[in-house]
Amino acid sequence: MTSSINSLCKVLALVVALAVLAGCADLRVAGTSEGILKGKDLRVAVFPIENMSMSPAPLKEMRESIIKKLEEAGLSVIDEKSLEDFMAERRVRYVGGIDEETAKAFKKEIGVDAVLITELELYNVTTPPRISMVSRLVSTGPSPRVLWMDGTGLSGDDSPGFLELGLIESPAVLRENALQTLINSLAATLSHTGKSPGSFSKRFRPKVSYRSPELSASEKYSVAVLPFYNRSQRRYAGDMMQLMFMDYLTKFKNLDVKDIGLIRQKLLQYRVILEQGLSLTNADVIFNTLNVDLIVAGYVFDYEDYQGPLGVPRVDFSALIFDRKSKEIVWSSNSYNEGSDGVFFFDSGKINTAFSLSSEMTRAVTEMAIK
Amino acid sequence: MINYIIAKVKTIQRVVVKTSLTRILSIIVVACLASCASVKGATDVYKDPNMDFGAIKTVAVLPFTNLTRDQSAAERVRDVFMNLLQATGAVYVIPTGEVTRGILRSGTTTPATPTTEEIKKIAGAISANAVILGVLKEYGEVRSGNSSSNVISLSLQMIETETGRVVWSASATEGGISFWDRLFGGGGKPMNDITVKAANDLIDKLFM
Repeated sequence: MTSSINSLCKVLALVVALAVLAGCADLRVAGTSEGILKGKDLRVAVFPIENMSMSPAPLKEMRESIIKKLEEAGLSVIDEKSLEDFMAERRVRYVGGIDEETAKAFKKEIGVDAVLITELELYNVTTPPRISMVSRLVSTGPSPRVLWMDGTGLSGDDSPGFLELGLIESPAVLRENALQTLINSLAATLSHTGKSPGSFSKRFRPKVSYRSPELSASEKYSVAVLPFYNRSQRRYAGDMMQLMFMDYLTKFKNLDVKDIGLIRQKLLQYRVILEQGLSLTNADVIFNTLNVDLIVAGYVFDYEDYQGPLGVPRVDFSALIFDRKSKEIVWSSNSYNEGSDGVFFFDSGKINTAFSLSSEMTRAVTEMAIK
Repeated sequence: MINYIIAKVKTIQRVVVKTSLTRILSIIVVACLASCASVKGATDVYKDPNMDFGAIKTVAVLPFTNLTRDQSAAERVRDVFMNLLQATGAVYVIPTGEVTRGILRSGTTTPATPTTEEIKKIAGAISANAVILGVLKEYGEVRSGNSSSNVISLSLQMIETETGRVVWSASATEGGISFWDRLFGGGGKPMNDITVKAANDLIDKLFM
């Protein structure tokens, strides 16, 4: 009798200990990537963070944290004064990308190999806090290209765990987790240890899709992703979808994706105004000036996050791919999902940010279109 | 003998009356069923019997007239319909931006309700064989007592651009409060799902 009570107590103690450990797992800040990048000899400039969240955020602290983590990871970051002087001299005001001229000057004048560009998409400090950001490393020199790109969307209640011990209530902790996730991803890519993502979940497939036989999975394409036409209530939703598509398209080896800075420069230079979408005349200008084979464009109808513990994010968009050869649409699709789609028990599998939701949806679209 | 004959005649009369009543009832029932069947076919879809739909290769879908309270509803439904039509692979659907260019170039001020001349100008500018006009009549939540559900009601017209004639017209309604919604509640199906269903229904009517 006594031994059975003892066994029961041991089992209970073990269960409690495991639950506590599981809960604590998400409290810690993700591990650093120290030393992974050593020997890479990349000289990097870190641009000020572009705030697309429409809410105040500690951008300066975040940037300082990024620089610190990059240095810990073995990358050489140029000093603040050199970057400030360069930006003032070249009158660089736009920090969401770099154009050809700036890229050349970065290399020639201050010997920078790559520029780290970061966009803050969501910064919500109400409990549970939420943060979403996208970052990319763009090479400098005569033909700038995206060396690495990744994004992360985290919510304090992503993994509440047993008795909500895993709930993150501090925006600072969540912020550090997000930044560390991005730097780890960059480190893994530069050291060629990055894992390829598994197949996409069927629940995020587009609800309607068309793929022309003209689009070949084996052919090499150069691609320009345009900002999506924003019909949602959320400001910058079109730009976020552009970044999201760029992120996934850069992962295909047969695609050469042009950077946003380059596209923006050409659109401004040739005064291309996208009146409710892309016309064939504008498409011709983009095809010829950027020398691309495919143009990705689209429309966003919903891009909704929520505040507080209750609610679900919602994303609704359609995507189009124009082909230079046939001058026709070779892909079109409609996607819409809510964060709770396919969730039945205890919020398991629920997605808490519009960023993470649209990221999954975009991944499904790009894989169906390109593979 | 006479009584027997009278009785027989009455029996025959009863049988005749009964038979004719049964026949009349049968005819009425068949007529009702036939009329019900023809009502749907006649009022829901119009298809020009002289039109060669195979000749239509390129279609422009103009902005829909929005009769609902949701300002973006017409654009949402148009986008879904365009993608579904493109997905059939039977016709090429001109992208929205190109259609907008055609509208601007033709100087059409009310693109949802253009005149025949305006349709010809738009089609000429963007090389469309046919244009589709639409009216979104209902989109969103409807309530009845304690029950609520989503509903969509859409009607479309296809106009052949050379002559400016309406060659196809159809309407579709999906969603609404069902018997089970009233009984158990539940709120009906999501708006996006019924939008796809209604657009699919219209495309079926176009290709039937």
